[in-house]
Amino acid sequence: MLSLIVFLPIIAGLVILAVPSSQKQIIRIVSLLASLAQVVLSVLIWRAYDPSLPGITAGPGGSPLGSFQFVEKLPWISLNLGGFGSLNIEYFLGIDGISVTMVILTALISAIGILSSWTIQKQVKGYFILYNLLASAMMGCFVALDFFLFYVFWEIMLLPMYFLIGIWGGPNREYAAIKFFLYTLFGSVFMLLVMIGLYFSVIDPVTGNHTFSLVAMASQENYIKDAILGPDNVMWRYVAFIVLFIGFAIKVPMFPFHTWLPDAHVEAPTPISVILAGVLLKLGTYGMMRINFPLFPEVFHASMYVIGIFGAINIIYGAFCALAQQDLKKMVAYSSISHMGYVLLGLAAGNSEGMVGALYQMFNHGTITAMLFLLVGVIYDRAHTRQIDKFGGLASYMPVYAAVVTIAWFASLGLPGLSGFISEAFVFVGAFSSVTTRYIAMVSVLGIVFGAAYLLWSLQRVFLGKRKADAAYDIEVGEDGHEHIHFHDWKGKLDLDGRELAMLVPLAVIIIFLGIYPMPVLGMLTTSINKLVEVLSPVVMTTMN
Amino acid sequence: MHSLIQLSIVVLLLPLLSFVILIFFNRRLPRSGDFLGVGILGTAFALSAYIFWTVIVQTYDPAFRIAWDFTWIDLGKVPGVGPLQIKMGVVIDNLTAIMLAMVTLISLLVHLYSTGYMAGDKNYGRYFAFLGIFTFSMLGIVLSDNLFSIYIFWELVGLSSYLLIGFFFEKDSAADAQKKAFLANRVGDIGMWLGILILYSQFHTFSFVEINANLAAGKFALSNAWLTAAGILLFMGCVGKSAQFPLHIWLPDAMEGPTPVSALIHAATMVAAGVYFVARIFVMLTPDALHLIAFVGASTAFMAATIAITQNDIKRVLAYSTVSQLGYMVLGLGVGAYSAALFHLVTHAFFKACLFLGSGAIIHAMHHEQDMRWMGGLRKHMPWTFATFTLATLALAGLPLTSGFMSKDAILAGAIGFAKVEGGGIFYLIPVLGFFSAMLTAFYMGRQIWLVFFGESRTHLKPAEDHHGHDVHDAHHGAHDDHDCHEEHHGVHEVSWNMRAPLVILAALSVFFVYSPDPLDGAKGWFMKMIQTPETVVGEASLQKAAALRSGVAPLIAEAVLPPAGHAETDSHAAAAAPSHAAPAGVHTFADPRQAEIAHAAHAAHFPAIYISSIMVVLGISMAFIVYVFRIIDPEKTAISIRPLYLFSLNKWYWDEIYEATFIKGSIVLSKVFAWFDTNIVDGLVNGVAFTVKKFAFANGSFDKYVVDGLVNFTAFSVNTTGAVLRKLQTGKVQTYVVMLILAVFGYFVYYFTRLVY
Repeated sequence: MLSLIVFLPIIAGLVILAVPSSQKQIIRIVSLLASLAQVVLSVLIWRAYDPSLPGITAGPGGSPLGSFQFVEKLPWISLNLGGFGSLNIEYFLGIDGISVTMVILTALISAIGILSSWTIQKQVKGYFILYNLLASAMMGCFVALDFFLFYVFWEIMLLPMYFLIGIWGGPNREYAAIKFFLYTLFGSVFMLLVMIGLYFSVIDPVTGNHTFSLVAMASQENYIKDAILGPDNVMWRYVAFIVLFIGFAIKVPMFPFHTWLPDAHVEAPTPISVILAGVLLKLGTYGMMRINFPLFPEVFHASMYVIGIFGAINIIYGAFCALAQQDLKKMVAYSSISHMGYVLLGLAAGNSEGMVGALYQMFNHGTITAMLFLLVGVIYDRAHTRQIDKFGGLASYMPVYAAVVTIAWFASLGLPGLSGFISEAFVFVGAFSSVTTRYIAMVSVLGIVFGAAYLLWSLQRVFLGKRKADAAYDIEVGEDGHEHIHFHDWKGKLDLDGRELAMLVPLAVIIIFLGIYPMPVLGMLTTSINKLVEVLSPVVMTTMN
Repeated sequence: MHSLIQLSIVVLLLPLLSFVILIFFNRRLPRSGDFLGVGILGTAFALSAYIFWTVIVQTYDPAFRIAWDFTWIDLGKVPGVGPLQIKMGVVIDNLTAIMLAMVTLISLLVHLYSTGYMAGDKNYGRYFAFLGIFTFSMLGIVLSDNLFSIYIFWELVGLSSYLLIGFFFEKDSAADAQKKAFLANRVGDIGMWLGILILYSQFHTFSFVEINANLAAGKFALSNAWLTAAGILLFMGCVGKSAQFPLHIWLPDAMEGPTPVSALIHAATMVAAGVYFVARIFVMLTPDALHLIAFVGASTAFMAATIAITQNDIKRVLAYSTVSQLGYMVLGLGVGAYSAALFHLVTHAFFKACLFLGSGAIIHAMHHEQDMRWMGGLRKHMPWTFATFTLATLALAGLPLTSGFMSKDAILAGAIGFAKVEGGGIFYLIPVLGFFSAMLTAFYMGRQIWLVFFGESRTHLKPAEDHHGHDVHDAHHGAHDDHDCHEEHHGVHEVSWNMRAPLVILAALSVFFVYSPDPLDGAKGWFMKMIQTPETVVGEASLQKAAALRSGVAPLIAEAVLPPAGHAETDSHAAAAAPSHAAPAGVHTFADPRQAEIAHAAHAAHFPAIYISSIMVVLGISMAFIVYVFRIIDPEKTAISIRPLYLFSLNKWYWDEIYEATFIKGSIVLSKVFAWFDTNIVDGLVNGVAFTVKKFAFANGSFDKYVVDGLVNFTAFSVNTTGAVLRKLQTGKVQTYVVMLILAVFGYFVYYFTRLVY
């Protein structure tokens, strides 16, 4: 099941390889079918998922598979290294409450990204092959339970992303692509080192061999006492935690490692922005929840305060930067930084409310921000500009578009009744209830006001009032006496067309539904989060020798 | 589930249904579906009236309360807390029953009125949809049994207010006003949210009942300062929503919305939600928090009244009057006059809705003229509007025989009693400001009535260039352009029945006998009997108990020393604390000594309050007469002679300018600084690192190219050169080799013999 959902896009990519590049429609349809199949599979997984099993770790005396579900475990690479023992890498997939939500999100956003890619005209074949490779790698990251496998997927993800921005992007695409690539690579080098260190510090309780299994690594009793990252080596454990954290923080992106994001978004084509903001950023915080924190719980406990402060900086700093932007897409990019700050703050709280809020925020940010980028794409397609002051009064002429924008914008500013509110609320509830992050939470609520400020201000400048003098469109009075607007060289429908609605409406429905009744998602993740919180709470380190 | 609960949920959901139908299908329905909006609200009102009848009239029990809840979010077994569920629920008590009936009635009347007022607007259907979602959110606040759902509906009310203020979004002023309203409310909301968080972090629940029980049991583990802070922060929500100083600035601008909306949202219901919320949290407010609330209320009442006296826009006068009256309600809650404040909430809702709808009728009839300077003499043309408007004005000014008189005096009596109990001094400022504002209220309302309805029409005095420019919105412009409004009241006529009927109903609800048989004493009426001041849960007893628990004194001992102060418990402790205050008939008895004293003193201050406030009202009205009717004092000349004061009032104490210069400019400058920092410093560092690495790489490359590779090449070169030289020797001819051989042998012998010789 999990293998299928991971490799479906790659299979589609292989099929596309065989299709001549002039058959653009077939290429698109094959990709769409594969991603729709992924969505169907994710729904099946959602239906079959048992929310009472916690996952996270095997726990003392537990099964080596932990209580993960849909587990697939095969030996993959076994090398006898002589004096170093044997190298055992496994093909180990499985999901728990943390990953199941992300799997669903990834499938959903990938499918919407395909729809959004319909307008790509340049080198369609190459584009969709890379896109499918990216989709597989993302999905793989979320289901991999072997650190090595995770790392492989993580690195595979980089390559298509680099080319998708660097070839199909805007005018400054090469700079943005290389910046994204180097930044992420910088993080993953550290990850590689820590991974090797962990391998030599952890023993699989069943086989007695070293292991890359994240399930085994998440149980502190599996660590060798005096190994490099064993419990005795306090300093190295701190170093490992910090460099691993930086690796993931770059992906989040956390201040001060965030500057690749606005550039990447501004240059990337709309579907890639959607993927980037909708899924890729979550990998950073997912990595923290899956690897960084449970493997080093005592270090996490000592650094909650610092992580919380960085979360608060992200929230407020991102909001202020967004307030100053003139480019609509750049504003949305900075709003992502601000909203990912909530995730960090929720994680830093270290309690169930905060962690539930953080994970739910990851899901909601995925859907909401995808919507924001799609909507920015809609106007960019028509006007070929994203400058906020080149519009004005659009609500009169594009009422459906304006209505959908209003839903998305208000979801982003955390309006109750829409999903973003619940996750932000829980983040604050958690952060405030934790004594460590209480004062940080009190400062961070300012983000609620400034978030509303930049969103409402941009909404007003683009949609309300009247047409600006130098707007990107002209007003014509039609035969029926009504005013219409006209974008230069835009031939399509003025208001949202069917394909655009097909992307936006499902997202809007999800956002509204999960804002009113969040349990379909929250129900899946609470058990795992409660378990995670237990794992992370300060524990007396017990080890086996 | 109790049948009343089921009914109340139906009432809650009906307006939402109206919203959903109208937002999607208004263009496909005849008349844009306005009949659906009115019909659904009519049903909702009928059901609310039934609830009201059952609860207030039939049951007639001050302690009536039924509640129901369900698990909304289940967080499972949370480590450190245990099973944790977030519940949503509905509560019906007397206050809810009254508010339900009030909100649905006013909403229904505004729906009906709007069918006339908004007729012909291009977004007519959407307007009714927005009214629907507003009513839904407002009813949600009223029915909520916990802080979390109040917060949800609170923000939804903010959204509907945003949508309705900006209904004519093509006007920049409307778009500015809607944004300002939302943001000002958000500032209040974050305070409210922090207050909720303080309470949640202690008790892991949002439910009022559970929080109150925990507080009464002294389980608040943080210091009492935190408890006061929680109260003040929660009150910030009210400061935003009920437009209290210093967040009052959005309400006058909100008048950019259609006038019926101003009546429904920005006068009668939404802005009163803040007061309602403070009433809901009243029991958990510490005395310190209450003091601050009282001062905020008093200063708001006074400040807004001083601004209202100089405004020229008919709606702005009413807007500032609303701010001022809300200040009264907040003041009332702050001084502990709980039932009086809520009484004023209800009476004010009716007469202020009447005033706004009346002003809407005037504006409608005057073809969107809102400036009172160009009105006058309308009483002849609009007798119905004149009569109802005047009645509501008398209620607002607080003249005897009206509802406003009873409720305002109850608040002022509470203020006097409060000042007396709290030890006088600075606390007397509160009743003084209250009475002074009462005088100002009478003055500005007298001025308004005179300017609008009496004298001769001044339409022709309006400067020509300003003509029609004030508040024209496209729809009405088109609908009424056939009238020539420049002619002296040529087109001014009484409004149609669907706009007149709401005025009459609302005016009728501004008369005393609706609420009390005794026009001088609201306390004798059903309202104040049904809404009684609840027992505080943070009285001295529970605070001491909390302190004892915190300091580690065994709870058992604390229990023994301090009798529990619960909701329903009226024990010997209270009687001992206030033995001299043998409760007079009609005064509720309290366990908390402070509450008991204030209630007693307020009761004693009832008649003094009536006398003083009557004098103040008469003074105010006489002043209005002196200035505007007899013109003994010329208003224009006075304005010039006290110009700084006049401008101060006319420009609304310059709050907008102050905020513009500080918070708004500050935020924008800060955002630019951050953006600059981001591009130049943070990203500059990144690019700098990249640049350095690149330079280093190039240097490395050069080293590689010139030094490392140079060495390699040099070696190759030397070998090559040597080879080239040596190659010359390799000619392949035997003769050459023989010559070279002979030369070599010869050379060797020369060398050998040379060495032998020397």
